[in-house]
Amino acid sequence: MNHEYSIVDVARGIGIAMVVFTVVAFAFIAPGDRTEPVPDGRREVVFWHFWGGSDRAVVEEIVNRFNASQTKHYVRAVAMPGANLDLKFFLSVTGGNPPDLLNQDDPVVADWAIRGALAPLDELASPEEIAALNTWLFPAARALGSFNGRLYALCNGLDVRALYYDRNVLEKIGREPPATVEALDALARRIAPPRNHGRRRHYGYVPDARRLWAWGTVFGGRFYDPRTGRITADSEPIVRALQWMASYSHLYGGDALLAFRQGDQALTGASFPLLEGRYAMIMDGQWRVREIEAAVESAAANGRTLPRIGVVPLPKSGDGPEDAGWVNGNFFVVPRGCKNPDGAWQFMKFWAGFGGNEAEAARACVAGGWIPASSAVVNQPAFQRYLQDHPDFATFVRLAASENQVPWPAIPVAQYYDDQLRVAVSKAMYQGADPRAVLEEATRNVQQRLDEVLQHEH
Amino acid sequence: MSRQHNSIDRRQLPTALLFVSPWLLGFAVLVLYPFIASLYWSFCRYDLLSDPEWIGLDNYRRLLDELLHGGRFAVALWNTAYFALVSVPLSMALGVMLAVMLSWNIRFRVLFRTVFFLPSVVPVVAASVLWLWLLDPRDGLANYALSWLGIAGPDWFKSPHVALWPVDWLRGTAGIGSKDALALMSAWGMGNFMLIYLAALQDVPRELYEAAELDGANRARRFWHITLPMLSPVIFFNLVMGLIQSVQAFTQVYIVSDGMGEPLGSLRVLSLHLFLTAFKELDMGYASAMAWVLFVLIVVSTALLFRSSRAWVYYAGGTR
Repeated sequence: MNHEYSIVDVARGIGIAMVVFTVVAFAFIAPGDRTEPVPDGRREVVFWHFWGGSDRAVVEEIVNRFNASQTKHYVRAVAMPGANLDLKFFLSVTGGNPPDLLNQDDPVVADWAIRGALAPLDELASPEEIAALNTWLFPAARALGSFNGRLYALCNGLDVRALYYDRNVLEKIGREPPATVEALDALARRIAPPRNHGRRRHYGYVPDARRLWAWGTVFGGRFYDPRTGRITADSEPIVRALQWMASYSHLYGGDALLAFRQGDQALTGASFPLLEGRYAMIMDGQWRVREIEAAVESAAANGRTLPRIGVVPLPKSGDGPEDAGWVNGNFFVVPRGCKNPDGAWQFMKFWAGFGGNEAEAARACVAGGWIPASSAVVNQPAFQRYLQDHPDFATFVRLAASENQVPWPAIPVAQYYDDQLRVAVSKAMYQGADPRAVLEEATRNVQQRLDEVLQHEH
Repeated sequence: MSRQHNSIDRRQLPTALLFVSPWLLGFAVLVLYPFIASLYWSFCRYDLLSDPEWIGLDNYRRLLDELLHGGRFAVALWNTAYFALVSVPLSMALGVMLAVMLSWNIRFRVLFRTVFFLPSVVPVVAASVLWLWLLDPRDGLANYALSWLGIAGPDWFKSPHVALWPVDWLRGTAGIGSKDALALMSAWGMGNFMLIYLAALQDVPRELYEAAELDGANRARRFWHITLPMLSPVIFFNLVMGLIQSVQAFTQVYIVSDGMGEPLGSLRVLSLHLFLTAFKELDMGYASAMAWVLFVLIVVSTALLFRSSRAWVYYAGGTR
């Protein structure tokens, strides 16, 4: 037989060979499933979270203990960067392949719930369990997971803020930590008297522009009225809180404060601004207790001493409520349409300690330095011992039980609300804008967006 | 002859398609589909989690409203425009200047060329973090160096002010701020531009310089009357590319602004505003409309540049 191949035939042959080669190569190169196989007879629970560092080990330990206790389910934990976890979640929901369980800490519950992305917990548990859960949780933990009177998320740990202070600085001037906002002002002025020149390296106290949520509550305000469905960021107590925050800019200058504050919160461990002596007092969360202890220990090992730090509740404002402040936390949500909601529910209960797992949960909270979502876990002997050994941490735990620790409002557009408030506070604090005017503007914007979303979803 | 040619072309078409199929597939899935889908979504209310709902031109009306009333879109547009208008000319001027200097016959020329090109191969993330440290108002090296000269350094990335806006000069509120710092950071990475200028400089005929020298032209006149016109096609190319890159800048802005366009929204450029609107505020329809406005802006700016190029770009080969 006489075969004659043209250039075109040869090129076609090469093309086909290349495509076949590429497909085969990808088949071999593509990583296979390198994770442990799910044990026979058990169903997988895919769990997404964002914990890293020392927390990662605690999470893995909880997962291992749960898996060891189970004959039906098997949790596979997938750690991913927290900054855009929500973005990955949306894509997975849109793509029809969401995880079975997701941990979050942003104000997203209502936003996701109203769009039907979350399974309400009453679809996973019996009415008796839900009733028991509602009384089992701290008020703040219950509020964090609720929307329209239903639980959509189970809080697994609260983040509470208090006032850290440098004991050395206060002892040196013979003052006690402030119990009132007026005392805080006086101390701040005493430690860093206002002057008009030069870049400061130390302040007594400077309010954080992201924390009107906390100070608004301290001044007796609420950011949303569930009875009327109105945004109330322009109510009198919150305006007074912002006027007070902005008063620090009048003292020290908006530009100077803005430059000084930027990036403070990203600094961890030994870079905690209080340990660096940049402030004498600062508002921050309970996780700093452990970071400070580690930094002090490390400094001591290197022959250095760090400032001695103490913690008190946020100061009280006039006739404002006691032990008030802003609280958020971590919570589990179960995406609607996931493959194993029952497994997700069993794991959530195990982690949070609900339904007989309180002792296990207490051990996990001790290991992670976390605040439990329920007094039933706090009262466990292991946790009580931890509190005795860490009195500063105990301050936060006591605050967690307070009715006056208030989270973000459980409404859709809460993230937008947060953004609008931050803009308003920044304008008032750093650009000299009128606090009432900027809060009125933010209130209008958020109300309009909220009405649009509610109207659309209904 | 022509018919035979067409016949061969047709026979070769499947082969050609087979060869380009990996690219075609990628293009269709990763570019064409999002392109068309985003156009559709820009006319919808779409929150990523539920189905898109057609709302006509509402998103575009909202954009116009924000633009006219100084809303967040207007601020993002201003931030983007300022950054582009400062960073592109700065990078280009620096690039031309360095390329000309590095084309001179000086000692350690190769070393200098390497040193100036090096920043453009540093990953954006690493460069951004480096500049954050360098320009820290309190502890950064830049302000430390300035303090030696008795100058109180600016607040750089931690200030919302701008240095080059005449209105702020009159108000007395001008100052070096976050957008200026970002433009400075971009100029640092102009090595790619410089390399293209350097290559183009090698192509300028020596006899032009010799003729000019014979006519008594000094170095400055030779630069103005020979170098610049001969470089103008690559200047034009770099201008178009630089403009597109600066309008699309995202990674470095995200890093230096805490992912939120801080301080005071002064770094909330269009690309970041679009990202936050779509994925943090679940407003994908509105964000898609924004993306299309951004696209049209880039197309119009590029078209205007092409139009203006007739007046200032010189092609030695005579082709435009």
